[in-house]
Amino acid sequence: MSSNQSTHEETRRHREEGPKKHIVAFVLSLVLTLIAFAAVASGEINTTFTYVILVGMAIVQVFVQLSFWMHMKDRGHLFPILGIVFGAVVVFTMVIMAEYWVWW
Amino acid sequence: MSAHDLNGALPHEPEKATLEGRNKILGFWLFLGAETVLFGTLFSSYLALRHNIGDGPPASELFKLPTVFAATMILLTSSLMSVFAVQALHQKKVKPMIGWLVATIVLGLGFLGLEIYEFTEYIHEGHKMPTSAFSSSFYTLVGFHGAHVAFGVLWIGLLILQIMKKGLTVVTAPKIYVSAIYWHFIDVVWVFIFTVVYLMGKVG
Repeated sequence: MSSNQSTHEETRRHREEGPKKHIVAFVLSLVLTLIAFAAVASGEINTTFTYVILVGMAIVQVFVQLSFWMHMKDRGHLFPILGIVFGAVVVFTMVIMAEYWVWW
Repeated sequence: MSAHDLNGALPHEPEKATLEGRNKILGFWLFLGAETVLFGTLFSSYLALRHNIGDGPPASELFKLPTVFAATMILLTSSLMSVFAVQALHQKKVKPMIGWLVATIVLGLGFLGLEIYEFTEYIHEGHKMPTSAFSSSFYTLVGFHGAHVAFGVLWIGLLILQIMKKGLTVVTAPKIYVSAIYWHFIDVVWVFIFTVVYLMGKVG
């Protein structure tokens, strides 16, 4: 119980830091989105490299949003992480299958 | 437990103060794992079918980047409003919390309006549901996301009414928290939609 209490104390301090970290996450998401759109809109980067930029920006942005806005980096999120990672593994398998196997 | 709502002094992080609240959040995360799989199947079928355009217009001619960018900005800002609502919840400030929630659903409605406008434009350009495998899988994937946004708007709208009626308690707080998680999840799915469907479609 006492360890539980100290966890609560820590998250309390964490929470009361104010909106700063959420604004940082927002600006970060904004920048990542802009890079992705700019890479396509400029039309000067070759297709393969554009794909790499797009996928990279999307994955980084999802990590930013999951950890800051969905509180995943806070304590006690082992099962949520397991749930989402399980979903992501299934998705990854299905996407690879659809891209490289079905009808080709 | 009920003592908390009777004397009006909410515990710290009221959404996690009761076992029921904690279970609700855990259960919701497992639901989101299942939602990830659901969207994954729609994404994988879209990826497999996106080059089969039949007689319809190709993705690179159809998609308009400014509209997609505007929709992305609206949904991203709406996600920020939702996280501010949760911060207000943690500070036990009910009125600001309702304000942030209202901002969240107003932006959600803006996103939906833009999506409806976009779909009608596509239909005029001959990109209808039965046009091709590409168009069917496109409308299924993006439409499913839009339906999630519509459901979220309805859900958060009803929660605002409940908060106004019952106030912030250990029972209502987990609902707000969970709806915010849902809203962020919708934004995360949109990140993949604008990347995989629109931007990659534009590249070819």
